Amino acid sequence: MTLASTVAIAPDPASATQSVNRRILGAAWGMTSFRIGLFVFIALLLASAIYPEISSMSATKMVVKDKFLPPLFIGDKWSWGHPLGTDQLGRDMLLRCLIGLRYSLMIGIITVVLIFIIGCGLGLFAGFKGKWWDTIIMRITDAQLSVPMIILAITILGVSRPTVPTIIIVLALSGWPLYARVARSAAVTERGLEYVRGLRVLGAGDWRILLLFAAPNILPPIAFVAVLDVARMMIFEAILGFLGLGIQPPTPSFGSIIADSRKYLINAWWIATSPGVFLAVALTSINLMGAALEKARNRVYGGL
Amino acid sequence: MLILEFLVKRILQGFLIIGITSFIIFTLLRVVPGDPVRLIVGGMAPPDVVEKVATKMGLRDPIVVQYGRYMVGLLQGDLGQSYLRPRSGMVAAGGQYVDPTKSDMAPVTDLILERLPVTLQLGGVALVFALLISFPVGIAGGLRQNGWPNTLAFAVQSLFVSIPNFWLAIVLILFLSVKLNWLPALGYQGFSYVILPALVLSVEIAPFIIRTLTTSFGEVMQAPFIDEARVRGLSRRRIVYAHALRNAAVPLVNLLGIQLSTLIGGVLVIEYIFDYPGLGNLTVVSVVGRDFPVIQGIAITTSAVFVFINIIVDLVAYLIDPRVEL
Repeated sequence: MTLASTVAIAPDPASATQSVNRRILGAAWGMTSFRIGLFVFIALLLASAIYPEISSMSATKMVVKDKFLPPLFIGDKWSWGHPLGTDQLGRDMLLRCLIGLRYSLMIGIITVVLIFIIGCGLGLFAGFKGKWWDTIIMRITDAQLSVPMIILAITILGVSRPTVPTIIIVLALSGWPLYARVARSAAVTERGLEYVRGLRVLGAGDWRILLLFAAPNILPPIAFVAVLDVARMMIFEAILGFLGLGIQPPTPSFGSIIADSRKYLINAWWIATSPGVFLAVALTSINLMGAALEKARNRVYGGL
Repeated sequence: MLILEFLVKRILQGFLIIGITSFIIFTLLRVVPGDPVRLIVGGMAPPDVVEKVATKMGLRDPIVVQYGRYMVGLLQGDLGQSYLRPRSGMVAAGGQYVDPTKSDMAPVTDLILERLPVTLQLGGVALVFALLISFPVGIAGGLRQNGWPNTLAFAVQSLFVSIPNFWLAIVLILFLSVKLNWLPALGYQGFSYVILPALVLSVEIAPFIIRTLTTSFGEVMQAPFIDEARVRGLSRRRIVYAHALRNAAVPLVNLLGIQLSTLIGGVLVIEYIFDYPGLGNLTVVSVVGRDFPVIQGIAITTSAVFVFINIIVDLVAYLIDPRVEL
């Protein structure tokens, strides 16, 4: 039995999972792209956590005399107090971008965690139980998958009031099907493996096998790739904000800042540019980490 | 015979999926707050008028009854009528009162059929652009796993996937159409209006194609039959295009089926930004106006398109590579 499972997947699944995951992390850490991504990400995280707290300015209060100040060293009205300039109401752009980043990261991360739990939970359950549980759950998954996430999100948020929890729920609701599919197919494969049959013979129940033995094998590989989805969710949050269906002004969010700034594009280009650059840098850092983790995972699982 | 059996099975499944989808959307729209009747009769109308119109339109019946009525109409190709758009094409507002219970409102089927080709054109052009960008980058990256083409492919895909589409759209409008005046940006008056939105959309799709091409080419080139082709003395060009490409194409075709919903979602936002008169723009306007029949119609149409294209994708994957299970 041990021999068969050794051939089928990674080494002895129950005891060696820890080290497999650690090896994946180690392999990812060895890539330059992962380190760059991680450092940029941590820098952004610290900046968004600390700067708004120590800054004496307000991200929402308008200061009309300071409106349209350009960023550092551009034009002749710039000041050290507003490194990225100010917007049409005299609010500091750096502060607004960092607070926007805070919301964006928060929504992105919480949503992915929710999606992961819902999607993988349903997928594991469907794949492990099989029969009509499987059929029902997977058909619902197909139906959910066939409505593009943005249409669903816009429909729900457009007719109800967008707040942070509703945005998270809507994004999670429309994001889980892919995870359910992946987890299900992994669970179906896992169900047929020798060690599961061995546990059955020893008298373990479905839930015990699923949660204690199968899940630790199936979930980590999916979790490594889920990092990429944080970036995807952040983009969706920004899109919703841009359409006016995200976090409502005056609270800054990337989407709404960019949407408002379109009117001043020619004369005050920095209002539209800086949140875009912030978002793009944050997303690139997450994507670099995610891609490196995915590569490391494929290498460790593929070329053992 | 196998193909016929597959088609029948999948089409039946497809109808089931569309049925579930329509029910979910239908229920959702009626559970969320916001009474469309209020918008139809206007904010100043007294409550009894609201109730009268609502009852007349059947909006106070149980959801299941409403859904049944809707499905009967759907089977006859009737998706209902818009709450807000009269046949004349103007949006009903203020001044003239259009009675929404009468038949002078535009049928949803017409609204959708009018816009679907325009949207499909945008999606198609974007897909062509995306393939043009990703084929050279992706194939080169896949062929030289340890060289600079692979690094380039990785960089392009990381960069493209990190650019928010709406932001790119604004920047491109600013540079290419406002400053340089090369391409028209807003509205739709001919083919040149498709190029800019399609370009933005292709940047959104390209990273997925590049990634799939790089990995699948990398795998295929390791396969024994490629070595064998080398031994047979075939030229590198012939090995890549005649042998490797065909095998690497299957994951790509599958990807297109899965990424279709990203494509549709992207179309929606981009049409809104470029004021492109397609389905996406109609969706945003309808959601803001709580035009329920139109939203339902669009959701059903997109889910039908999704199901249909996925059937084709699986069929094409089978035709390319008969080892793929139907």
